Amino acid sequence: MLCRGDKELKLVDGAATDFAAKELAPNREEYDQYPFGPFWDKVVKKAFGLGFFHASLPVELDGMGLGLSGLSVILKSLCSQDASLGGMIFTNALAQEIMLIAKAEKLFEDKIAQQKDAFGFLLAFPSFNNPSEVRHLAQVKKTKQKATLSGEVPYVVLGGLGSYALLPACQGNEQDFSFYLVDLKGKGVSVSEPIFSLGLHACPAVDISLDKAPALLVGKEGKGKEYFDKAADRMHAAQAAMASGIMEGCFAEALAYCKEREQGGREIVDWSEVKMMLANIAIQAKSAEMMLSRACEAADNNQPKWQAAARVAAIQASAFACEAATDGVQVLGGVGYMKDHGQEKRLRDAKQIQALMGIAPMKKLKYMDSLLGKG
Amino acid sequence: MTYQPCTPEYAQCAPDLNDVAASLVSTHATPRALIKETREVVDLARRFNKEVVRPYVLELDRKVHEDPDFLPWDFVKKANDWGFYTMWVPRLFGGKGYFMHSMSAFVEEIGSACVGMANLIGVHYLGMATLAATWNAPLMMKIFRDVAAGEKAGDPRIISLAITEPGAGTDVEEPDLIDKGNITCHAKKVDGGYVVNGTKIFISNGHLSKWHVVIAYSDLDLPSQNTVCMLVQTGQKGFSFGRHEKKMGQRACPASELVFKDCFVPDNMVALDPEQIKDLKRDAKHTFQQVLDYVLGATRAGVAAFATGAARGAYEEALAFANETEVDGKLLANHEWAQCMLAEMYKNVNLARLAYMETNHHNASSGIYKSMLSKGMFQFSKYAPQFFLDKIAPALVGNGLTTKWLRKQSFDSQPEEELHRTSGWGSLAKFSGTDLGMKNCHMALELMGQAGLRHDQRAEKHFRDAKLLQIYEGTNQLNRLNLFKCLISRACPQSCVFHDA
Ligand SMILES: Cc1cc2nc3c(=O)[nH]c(=O)nc-3n(C[C@H](O)[C@H](O)[C@H](O)COP(=O)(O)OP(=O)(O)OC[C@H]3O[C@@H](n4cnc5c(N)ncnc54)[C@H](O)[C@@H]3O)c2cc1C
Ligand SMILES: Cc1cc2nc3c(=O)[nH]c(=O)nc-3n(C[C@H](O)[C@H](O)[C@H](O)COP(=O)(O)OP(=O)(O)OC[C@H]3O[C@@H](n4cnc5c(N)ncnc54)[C@H](O)[C@@H]3O)c2cc1C
Repeated sequence: MLCRGDKELKLVDGAATDFAAKELAPNREEYDQYPFGPFWDKVVKKAFGLGFFHASLPVELDGMGLGLSGLSVILKSLCSQDASLGGMIFTNALAQEIMLIAKAEKLFEDKIAQQKDAFGFLLAFPSFNNPSEVRHLAQVKKTKQKATLSGEVPYVVLGGLGSYALLPACQGNEQDFSFYLVDLKGKGVSVSEPIFSLGLHACPAVDISLDKAPALLVGKEGKGKEYFDKAADRMHAAQAAMASGIMEGCFAEALAYCKEREQGGREIVDWSEVKMMLANIAIQAKSAEMMLSRACEAADNNQPKWQAAARVAAIQASAFACEAATDGVQVLGGVGYMKDHGQEKRLRDAKQIQALMGIAPMKKLKYMDSLLGKG
Repeated sequence: MTYQPCTPEYAQCAPDLNDVAASLVSTHATPRALIKETREVVDLARRFNKEVVRPYVLELDRKVHEDPDFLPWDFVKKANDWGFYTMWVPRLFGGKGYFMHSMSAFVEEIGSACVGMANLIGVHYLGMATLAATWNAPLMMKIFRDVAAGEKAGDPRIISLAITEPGAGTDVEEPDLIDKGNITCHAKKVDGGYVVNGTKIFISNGHLSKWHVVIAYSDLDLPSQNTVCMLVQTGQKGFSFGRHEKKMGQRACPASELVFKDCFVPDNMVALDPEQIKDLKRDAKHTFQQVLDYVLGATRAGVAAFATGAARGAYEEALAFANETEVDGKLLANHEWAQCMLAEMYKNVNLARLAYMETNHHNASSGIYKSMLSKGMFQFSKYAPQFFLDKIAPALVGNGLTTKWLRKQSFDSQPEEELHRTSGWGSLAKFSGTDLGMKNCHMALELMGQAGLRHDQRAEKHFRDAKLLQIYEGTNQLNRLNLFKCLISRACPQSCVFHDA
């Protein structure tokens, strides 16, 4: 549905689906382990080789120029099997998006685009926070020649992997904040052990401590909120795509199990209460898919009020995914609660994805503000 | 529009106060000592949380993530040292004689800090309650006194309950389904006992238990009429542990596979089989259903208490976050929508608690606690001199006659409606409490955003732990159906349960 007959998107979808089936699904449990293992690196490199981290970047920046639809197609297919790689691609794309909106293409080309190695290309970003909601900001100090950042920025996704991080910072008690690019291997930067989190284990995050770390301003000073909000508007569709993918995988696994598992002398799919649970999952998955498709179409064609479609899709699809994944575990009974099956991971990942780009209820209030003309 | 006159059948089914307001009917009958005891165990649980659970909860969860085979003997030893494994064992059997009624409040408290650890204590009483519900006095004397000796020796000897099989989960929880199920755990009658073959899965505390209350079947074609409940000991010939499951949450509490290969169980370790109950009013299927109902009425209330704990834990983490975090320039606790969300969560905690408390009132007036709370029995078990209980009573209780008498008293005197009431309410508390628990965990994570995702903030652990509560002790689907069967179906004379076309 998302591909709408577009040949290029279909090809991308095929590649992502194939990748998910061959590279992600068979080792899902291994990749999810804590403490985190190194086995994941080769998967990231392969995904990089296939251009998944370049999907929404414009062609002029050596990207695939597939727009939101392309990014969403990839995320949806990958997340149906394992959402961790999706979390990495999402974070990277969100940071890229902010740099593009800030018109920092030159900086991007100099520092990021020329990186040949997958990990060098990854842009770290605190993608589970909206910096104007909860002010996890570094402090910036400026001289004529340079800026430095100090302080703590928690939960920077890819902070332990990428070469650069895009971090929000403000000066003193100023309300406005700006984005800065920080060399993660540079001086004054220290990163914590990977954070032990609910879901997306293979999409690691760290807390970053900064002590006069050299930093490069991205775009204009004081425009952080504007850049973030604009990028978030677009990335809402990508968030909906991840949630939608999780539901697709959740339904497929639930249905397959119910056709195999017998209780009370019949396949459990033939108990109408089980069928009802499956129906709820299927309806939520289909609704999310339709909302996502509509949001991508509106955004890629720059239709009026496309932002509203994307925001609604993100809020609703991620809420649906949490419910569907809860039932997705339930349908498998005790087996659903075990790590050797995909459902329990989907539940953890769905809940994690709901928190992307800020607190879920605040997203609803912001949507209402936009309808009231206040946002 | 005109009203249809209601049918006489329906009129008969109009809610009876005994069905719907147990607290009203039974609070006056609650012994004062029981109220005092409940306060006491809650205080004790709070102290244990402060000294043992909270300092260790995250470390233990991490440990089991790092080494999925890790077994928390250290915690079990601590709980044993604190006396928790004999706390709710009657004094007659060597325990401290607290009434099971107060245990729900205790496990809620521990569950508010860690449901996994609450299970490491609570599941022992699932095994204990099952053995107790068979009213096999000599076996209770043997096993419970061994648990008490283990406490004295600093060597925990806890009990697990093994019902679930690889091919049958829901089916073995429901006597109306079991004969259609794929049942494989066979107890073959031989001279002097039974020989058991088969596998049990997902058994909580399996690897940590010395004693296992095992349910097997002497005829796999008609298991409902041929259920055998027996005690198997770790290390016994023919019995071994299989895999230790890797779970989403409650990592502290192992779920184990138990494997039986020609495992001989002597007659004196058989708690209940069709032969032992052939003189009772009900047939073997319905007597076993009665045992299950006695146990599940209490333990499903217990699961609701765990869930109340999880709901509370999630609420408390969210509240702490709202008290210390600014969102959009003001304290989260000052956003009206967040206040309403916290009020919802507070409500969920209290509704879950009301559900298990009401169920326990039913258990006291109509179920497993009834005989224990009858005036004479309560006074006797609470205040009889310990010397008498240790030295004289065992000889009186340890013979088959007492068991026969106890069974007649409890099984034959329990009317059908009391069975339905306690079983129905056990289910009601279980699915409503656990749904509310899960709801609060979802809400806490929504409110906390990024912070809620971190292990070190604890909310995500409550979320992982709580999901299991909707599954074990019968899935919430099975429990809804059981509620229908017990308390609603009489208003639908044409209905039959578990015959979905
Ligand atoms: C961590 C853990 C600990 C456990 N501890 C213990 C223990 O200590 N001792 C013990 O004996 N067991 C234990 N269990 C087992 C537990 O009680 C079962 O998992 C539970 O009863 C469900 O059975 P199942 O997993 O086989 O699911 P299934 O019975 O296979 O159910 C699968 C799905 O089908 C639905 N379903 C099945 N039949 C019907 C029907 N007739 N109508 C409508 N829906 C239906 C269920 O609701 C569920 O959604 C534990 C389980 C877990 C996961
Ligand atoms: C059939 C009927 C019978 C009644 N009988 C009586 C009676 O016998 N005696 C009597 O005195 N009154 C009576 N009432 C009035 C009733 O108590 C009020 O309707 C009620 O208190 C709500 O007030 P309101 O209708 O003015 O709504 P409003 O106060 O205007 O509220 C409108 C909406 O805004 C919300 N809201 C308002 N303020 C806040 C806030 N600060 N924060 C968050 N949300 C807010 C409300 O929750 C509601 O959703 C009756 C009403 C009805 C409909």
